[in-house]
Amino acid sequence: MRFVDEFRDAELGRVVAGEILATVDPSRHYKVMEVCGGHTHAIYKYAIDDLLPENVELVHGPGCPVCVIPMGRVDDGIALAQQEGVIFTCFGDMLRVPGSNGSFLDAKAEGADIRMVYSPLDALRLAKTNPDRQVIFFAIGFETTAPSTALTLMRAKAEGIENFTVMCNHVTIVPPLRALLDSPDLRLDGFIGPGHVCTVVGARPFEFIPADYDKPLVVSGFEPLDVLQSVQMILLQLAEDRREVENQYTRVVPYEGNLKALEVLSEVFELRPHFEWRGLGFISQSALKLSEAYADLDAEERFGVPGVRVADPKACQCGEVLKGVIKPWECKVFGTACTPERPIGTCMVSPEGACAAYYNYGRLSQEREAV
Amino acid sequence: MTVSTPDPALECDHTTGCITCGDEAVAMTVLKLDPERGLALCADDEGRRETVEIALVDATEGDLLMVHAATAIAQVEVAA
Repeated sequence: MRFVDEFRDAELGRVVAGEILATVDPSRHYKVMEVCGGHTHAIYKYAIDDLLPENVELVHGPGCPVCVIPMGRVDDGIALAQQEGVIFTCFGDMLRVPGSNGSFLDAKAEGADIRMVYSPLDALRLAKTNPDRQVIFFAIGFETTAPSTALTLMRAKAEGIENFTVMCNHVTIVPPLRALLDSPDLRLDGFIGPGHVCTVVGARPFEFIPADYDKPLVVSGFEPLDVLQSVQMILLQLAEDRREVENQYTRVVPYEGNLKALEVLSEVFELRPHFEWRGLGFISQSALKLSEAYADLDAEERFGVPGVRVADPKACQCGEVLKGVIKPWECKVFGTACTPERPIGTCMVSPEGACAAYYNYGRLSQEREAV
Repeated sequence: MTVSTPDPALECDHTTGCITCGDEAVAMTVLKLDPERGLALCADDEGRRETVEIALVDATEGDLLMVHAATAIAQVEVAA
């Protein structure tokens, strides 16, 4: 398969692993955070951390959009879904995220018309084919997904489709990274940058990381060799005492991003003053809402939502996992009370969540070590 | 235009991963353009077909695009 097979070559992987071993200072411990949930998934799926020296630790960051949704937003979504005449649509992973009184899947079982869609365009099609119903799309995702929602809203407006609205939960990646870097209990040496977010925003928005925090960031692809090479590029910067934003994923990511996508985003969305992140609290200007020009397609404006803040379950340590302070298996409820089948915390819900990824793949390598 | 939309149930589960939630983009080749509607019929390397929004890229038939949530967000630079 093009652009896949050549980046999964085991022999080349061993070569890069050898180069990493030659680059590291054996007396030093390195902590590298992958920002994107897709990288977390790839690291566990391909056991990439098994190829790294023991003193190179990969820390899993807040890059899974499902994992950072607070319970209050799920409750708000369910309140919308339970309104008379509504067809509520969302991506598959959102269905199982627990709110304070059950998930979307539970609300569906109780009679709400909640449907899984693959894209916002699918939700718009549902609106066209059900003109007597109100179709609400629960929009979630980083800058990778926001253009798709924006284009769908532009299409709805242009075609005059009045029974389609969006409950916007899109988040932006830079503010939480800054919040993490300001966190006193965090020690990191570098970042694997989110490749697909960067196709939209480019690599430039991450230049504050070397400039203000003296740490390297390498924008990375998602195949095993991409991730390995990115780790090697970060370690090489540290060895050579350089701090830069580098782009490993040049076959897809232009350094300036996708200018058309950025224009579309700025037309359809505006920054919320603040937004709550699961485990990280409220972060200023870290999420998007519909702009004034699109306010009539905003589900929160049209229907109203309770907007009640709900505290995370006490047993859940998603916050510490998202900050990379603890590993998934160090959480008290990991694999016992909290499993992918019955998740307590959001990190266990989505396959890109650090806990679910580790539960599905990583524990196997730990079992191997124990034998 | 013949359209084949992937079954969402196959795309979202906790073992294979949700393409959309995981910020994953898939490489797809443009088979046929529908400029009037701003859409293109695309196929991935395994032959799965999908209607893709192409407003954000300058796509022509045969181009390789990175597609996320049915929207092309980038073009892949193919080495000559």
